[in-house]
Amino acid sequence: MRHVIIGGGIAGVTAAEELRKLDPDAEITIVSEEHHPLYSRVLLPHYLKGKIPRERVFLKKETWYAEKNTEWMTGVMATSLNAKNKFVTLSNGRELEYDKLLIATGGELRTIEADLRGVSYLRTLDDADHLLQLLGERTGTSPAAVYGGGFIACEYINFFAHHQVPTRVGLRGSYFWSRVLEHEAGALIQKQLDTHGVQIMPNVNLLDMIDEKEIKHSCSILGVGIGIQPDFSWMREAGLEVESGIKCDAFLKTNLPDVYAAGDVAEFYDVIVGRHVHVGNWMNAQMQGRHVAKSMMGQEVPFALVSSYATNILGLEIIFIGDVSKQEADEVKLFGSAEEGGVAQLFGRKGQLVGAVLIGRNQDRAIITKMIQARDLLVNFSK
Amino acid sequence: MPRIRVKVDEDLCIGAASCVTISPETFQLNEENKALVYDHGQQPDGPTYERWMDVTDDELENILLGAQSCPTLAIFIFDEAGNQLFPEL
Repeated sequence: MRHVIIGGGIAGVTAAEELRKLDPDAEITIVSEEHHPLYSRVLLPHYLKGKIPRERVFLKKETWYAEKNTEWMTGVMATSLNAKNKFVTLSNGRELEYDKLLIATGGELRTIEADLRGVSYLRTLDDADHLLQLLGERTGTSPAAVYGGGFIACEYINFFAHHQVPTRVGLRGSYFWSRVLEHEAGALIQKQLDTHGVQIMPNVNLLDMIDEKEIKHSCSILGVGIGIQPDFSWMREAGLEVESGIKCDAFLKTNLPDVYAAGDVAEFYDVIVGRHVHVGNWMNAQMQGRHVAKSMMGQEVPFALVSSYATNILGLEIIFIGDVSKQEADEVKLFGSAEEGGVAQLFGRKGQLVGAVLIGRNQDRAIITKMIQARDLLVNFSK
Repeated sequence: MPRIRVKVDEDLCIGAASCVTISPETFQLNEENKALVYDHGQQPDGPTYERWMDVTDDELENILLGAQSCPTLAIFIFDEAGNQLFPEL
């Protein structure tokens, strides 16, 4: 059996590890765009703040791949897929035949077109190294800017605060996660930023942050966190069904035979919330990596996980659980208030609790996770 | 029956909760969103980030899987002789 895995991140490598356990004799190849062995993107903020040394971000050693008898190709991407004759073509010109193919390419960052000195992104280890370099080159007391109002913006804010760099943040909406959060939840985050002296500029666009030559507002660094935008072109050309991600069923199978998807790239049918969802968090990617390996070996069990992602802004804890699409919800209910210092925003569909965002309300996490898992009704949540 | 020491570095823990998903009998989050260590779902002597426990081989494998799932490598497992089982050194 020949398993080919496109993507060397947590979903792809976890799948390879599980496949090796299930099938000691299989040929397994991992095609990785990055040159590093598997590392934890979630550890990058700890590395950036000097909490851990750089070598501690790695989850696998370079020797691990050979120990697992797994071919590990680095610096290579897939460029086309021929699902009829079952082979993929790679950027180095090689063609790889497969019996089972897993696409776990994650998400590429949405970037700004301007190529200015001081512009930073934060997804890979190389990005983190670059940000530290920019910090080292910073002169005097020049402030830093952040463009975006999501998870990556939080990391930049925490990073700059840690290094005592004054920060101003340009939001495309009127508050953080403005497409997900109700006003009161946004106000709580705003209050936290105000308390810590972070300057917020709501409803701005890129031209408020940069001009042709430099970053505006005398800032020496601009951290950009405006979401991901994967390039699906070779997947679409191959006939894969793609919407916000590669469409797959509850077993993580795509519409093409023997082609599977997992992790940030997959838009999978979530049996718990009853619709296709596209989730970009560590827990989901890792658990799907393990699950898809079983699917590839013919064990058909639906993937069922209430995944979550936790972050904080300057100590204010923020947790996203389950399906937090406001457009897809038919009921959104708030508990708590900015004044109390804690807001829980719950999402319901046809009465069922499907997701939640907790800000400064960690204590609700376990019960809400259990309720979503049990397909309980939103109305049964009591503060 | 292996006797092991399970320890969570609360400074590294960010409350990602993958350990709780895999090994809920051993890990549960507290109100600070950090993983406490439980002994088979119990907290003899109260909440703690570190404790000794006796486990079966299957339970050990599951706890190791929970530790391995931690995206910040905040979970440490030691055997009775004090050897670090995870993360591998």
